[in-house]
Amino acid sequence: MLSRRGFLKAGGLSLVGVGLMGGMPSFLADAIAGEKIWLPYKKRKTLVCIFQRGAMDGLMAVTPFADAYLQKARPALFMGAAKSEGSNALFDLDGRFGLHPAMQGFAPLFREHRLAIVHGIGSPNTTRSHFDAQDYMESGTPFKKGTASGWLNRAIGEAGHEAITPFSAVSLTSALPRSLYGSHPAVAVSDIQDFGIRLRGNQQAANKSSKNFEDLYEQTASGLLQHTGRESFEAVKMLQKNDTRNYKPANGAVYPNTVLGRALKQIAQLIKMDVGLEVAFTESNGWDTHFNQGTANGVFARNVADLSNSIVAFWNDLSAYQDDVTVMTMTEFGRTVHQNGTNGTDHGRASCNFILGNDVNGGKIHGNVPELAKENLEDGRDLPVTTDFRAVFSEVAARHLALKKTDKLFPDWTGKQIGVMNV
Amino acid sequence: MNWFNLFPDRLNHFLLNRSEGEISSCAMVILTTRKFFAGLVMAGVLVVLAAFTERRSEQSSFPWQKAGLTEQQAAAHLLSRFTYGATPEQIEQVRRAGLENWFEDQLRGVPENEDLKRRLGSFDAIALSNAAVVQRYPRNARVVRMAIAEGAIHKDSIRTGDRAAYREMLQNYMKQNDLRPQQELFRQFISQKILRAVYSENQLQEIMTDFWFNHFNVSLTKPQCAEFIPAYERDVIRPGATGKFGDLLLATAKSPAMLYYLDNFSSSGTPKMESEFPQTAYRRKFVRNAPNAVKTKGKGRGKPKQAKPKKKAAGLNENYAREVMELHTLGVDGGYTQKDVTEAAKVLTGWTVSPLGQYQNVKGRPVPALRTGAAMRPGASFRDGDFLFAANRHEGGVKTVLGKKFGPNAGYDEGVELLEMLARHPSTAKFISTKLAIRFVSDQPEKSLIDKMSRAFAKSGGDIRTVLRTMVSAPEFWSAAVLREKTKSPFELAIGAVRSLHADVQQPYQLFSWITRMGERKYYYQAPTGFPDQAQYWINTGALLNRMNFGLALAAGKIPGIQIDLRKLNGNREPESVSNALALYAARILPERELTPIIKKLEPMLSQPDLLNKVEEASAKAASREAQGTMGTAMPINKVSSGKHRMAAKAQSTDMLAQVVGVIIGSPEYQKR
Repeated sequence: MLSRRGFLKAGGLSLVGVGLMGGMPSFLADAIAGEKIWLPYKKRKTLVCIFQRGAMDGLMAVTPFADAYLQKARPALFMGAAKSEGSNALFDLDGRFGLHPAMQGFAPLFREHRLAIVHGIGSPNTTRSHFDAQDYMESGTPFKKGTASGWLNRAIGEAGHEAITPFSAVSLTSALPRSLYGSHPAVAVSDIQDFGIRLRGNQQAANKSSKNFEDLYEQTASGLLQHTGRESFEAVKMLQKNDTRNYKPANGAVYPNTVLGRALKQIAQLIKMDVGLEVAFTESNGWDTHFNQGTANGVFARNVADLSNSIVAFWNDLSAYQDDVTVMTMTEFGRTVHQNGTNGTDHGRASCNFILGNDVNGGKIHGNVPELAKENLEDGRDLPVTTDFRAVFSEVAARHLALKKTDKLFPDWTGKQIGVMNV
Repeated sequence: MNWFNLFPDRLNHFLLNRSEGEISSCAMVILTTRKFFAGLVMAGVLVVLAAFTERRSEQSSFPWQKAGLTEQQAAAHLLSRFTYGATPEQIEQVRRAGLENWFEDQLRGVPENEDLKRRLGSFDAIALSNAAVVQRYPRNARVVRMAIAEGAIHKDSIRTGDRAAYREMLQNYMKQNDLRPQQELFRQFISQKILRAVYSENQLQEIMTDFWFNHFNVSLTKPQCAEFIPAYERDVIRPGATGKFGDLLLATAKSPAMLYYLDNFSSSGTPKMESEFPQTAYRRKFVRNAPNAVKTKGKGRGKPKQAKPKKKAAGLNENYAREVMELHTLGVDGGYTQKDVTEAAKVLTGWTVSPLGQYQNVKGRPVPALRTGAAMRPGASFRDGDFLFAANRHEGGVKTVLGKKFGPNAGYDEGVELLEMLARHPSTAKFISTKLAIRFVSDQPEKSLIDKMSRAFAKSGGDIRTVLRTMVSAPEFWSAAVLREKTKSPFELAIGAVRSLHADVQQPYQLFSWITRMGERKYYYQAPTGFPDQAQYWINTGALLNRMNFGLALAAGKIPGIQIDLRKLNGNREPESVSNALALYAARILPERELTPIIKKLEPMLSQPDLLNKVEEASAKAASREAQGTMGTAMPINKVSSGKHRMAAKAQSTDMLAQVVGVIIGSPEYQKR
């Protein structure tokens, strides 16, 4: 794993090479360490990905409300867009599709053409296993289990500049997601404030230990532990330069006090710090609604409210940075067109996703949702996948991050992009 | 048949150490032999002896010598795989007892120590039945519902009233009715897990319990199943951890935790038989018991109710059927199709949870208890503990899974047959063997090892002890390539560190918070996959820093309720110098490891002249803060000590020791096992 990080190259020491680090005299290692925080920390375009784990029911988030088949298939779950339904009515987006009433925050963004929806999006692999579908979507190779890296990690590699920082790719999760596995540095952190060597009541001793740990990992570890140790301490140094403790969102933006809300708030901070953040990742859980999914209220409604309110707060907080930020949601598959016997929905095929940004071809519902008659359904039961997720992911990443090539993102994919971004 | 008497001692020993399955398969060998060589009894004896000798030699000498290990190193390796961490004394004990004997004892189980029993004694919730848990530790939503129903609080006060007053009313109601907050149940449950891991004599059983729980994962994140998880681990996983895989599979399938976690409790088909249990009663129970049952009390109130689905509509739910094949038995590449999943789901319809707690008095005929043998009418409903087979929810007709036909009218037995078929499937043998090898040998186990284990699995009818014996008897288990190849999970790291330092764990839940911060929120892993068991999952920048922080905090005595005495650990002797301390403590904490690189590296750092000054300064500050009462839990400071100087010197050396030990626990070497 030569040159896992960019610092050796950028530091003018590329000849030394990672392979010699173990035997390098400590004064030299220290010298390099001293050079670690250098120029590449600067403002970058940022792609923020939110994985909705558990498989979001796309037909409830964005409902083809005029479809009589859907109404019939979901007697306990269907909602209409008629004004007579009052606050429980869907937001009519285009006369055919309606947004779930709990996602009202998205409506103005859609009208301003900043928010695009792709409906009928999914994977060519028909697995209905959460694990596999997430794995395939995150690895970006829907028919290969063994792919070592994630598509977002490969996207970092395609950004085409040497200056990669420890914060080029950050996941606001306690562990690194599959999407960010790979040879380019990626940081997982559940709270940026805790990032560092800390000892309650004796921070001075902790600071000293920090140096010890850093050297110990550099010089006595190998492989994964060594790499991760190095990255950890670089990241610590970077964060120490900023005051993350007293963060105040701009424009009175109020983030929901949820896992997703808190994660997006921290991503906003990293963006404003200009630490070179290019790919941010976080996740939202609880979408596996097999049981009592609810309608205008209930578990699904709470989930979409959290999703939309968090994203809207993030967007408002970043008003000065909006040109540089694109947000994209994703989920492993959709859910059955028919409700199941327990007023929920089972694992299906296609779902929908949301893309928000100033270079997004917004105000449109992209993709193709047929009339939901049985003969139009995949396996006679599911919303068919009419848009390959790779078409959308590659277009959004390539356009927003200005990637020169996309063939490495999704190596097995040869399809066409569908115009979700403005040219 | 007197040949048993020929070698009574050895055979007795042999039989004592064997599970029933092995003995019967052994007997099979004899019978078969006799069939073909009638009268040649000695031939049968020879077959037995041959098998015996082979096993005996496998068992009596783990092939560590061939791998070039010393006996100490071998003992350390064995303990690194089947305990949560070992001290030099434990390694020596195992060496003296014999590695094979220790392993057999661990497989069988040994008497538990009094210390652990005493520590667990204060947790009254962990022994409760599911029904008692439902009664005593109700979910919040149900407490509210009950309080409203009994008029203790008014339903409008939930949204409109004074929040503090509302909370107090609710608390009073709980007190009056002897109800406890559900979080307390989980706190006790997690605490017992940690205490057992730290103090149990049955380390292998604890680790196998952990392994199978993760394999048959259920999650406290799912409210419907959460309250049943303590009993799931206690009654299903732990007792079956070293038994037959098929028994474990069946027990998990029938447990409320799994039935709720993967939704099979709600899955129903179209019955072909006369209904013998009123369906409406179940419907009511499931809906009322659902976490969202009170949701219509909010915004949706007053809105015309949407059409309910017809009662008779099939409510087939495939979730369990899929995961039982993908994650519990065959593995994702185990050779099944979506059609098999749907059909298996039909086979398992009617497998649900018996009404519990306040729902015990469901109207209708009582369901007969499980009767074995011919007494039970095929296809009938019955109850077995918390499990209920509801015949009127079971899909009639013939179902076909992996080419085998089930039904049409065998009811519960269809599901049992299905699970037996899955447990016996060659893909299962391979899948489980691979997973065990990854857990106990290395992240990338040799194919040859998995093959041996798979064969043992198949031959023994899924006997977990046999598979483990085969694994440990294989040269691959002892090869240099796998020594210290595994990365400790955060749980293993924390428990191991506590064991290394002989800590007195008074507040186990404090360790849980640290383990969570390091990336392993035990019992809360949401996906049915369980935690991935590989280094890449555990080691990332944020988690790694927290591992180091954990080491520092533990060694400095900054984790409340976890008491350590570093001096006592060294026989109350003061280390002569920093380098002496380093050598002593590194050898204790990392027994049988190559320590030269760490010591070489750490020594100059810790000996830097300015360090002692800084540390002294820091500890003086800390001491003065403590005097003002602003610090949380601090290191015990010898108050009797006369004079500031001695106190400062002692604090300084405590600080130095804590630094040394903290850095060792946070070091790369300690992250491996």
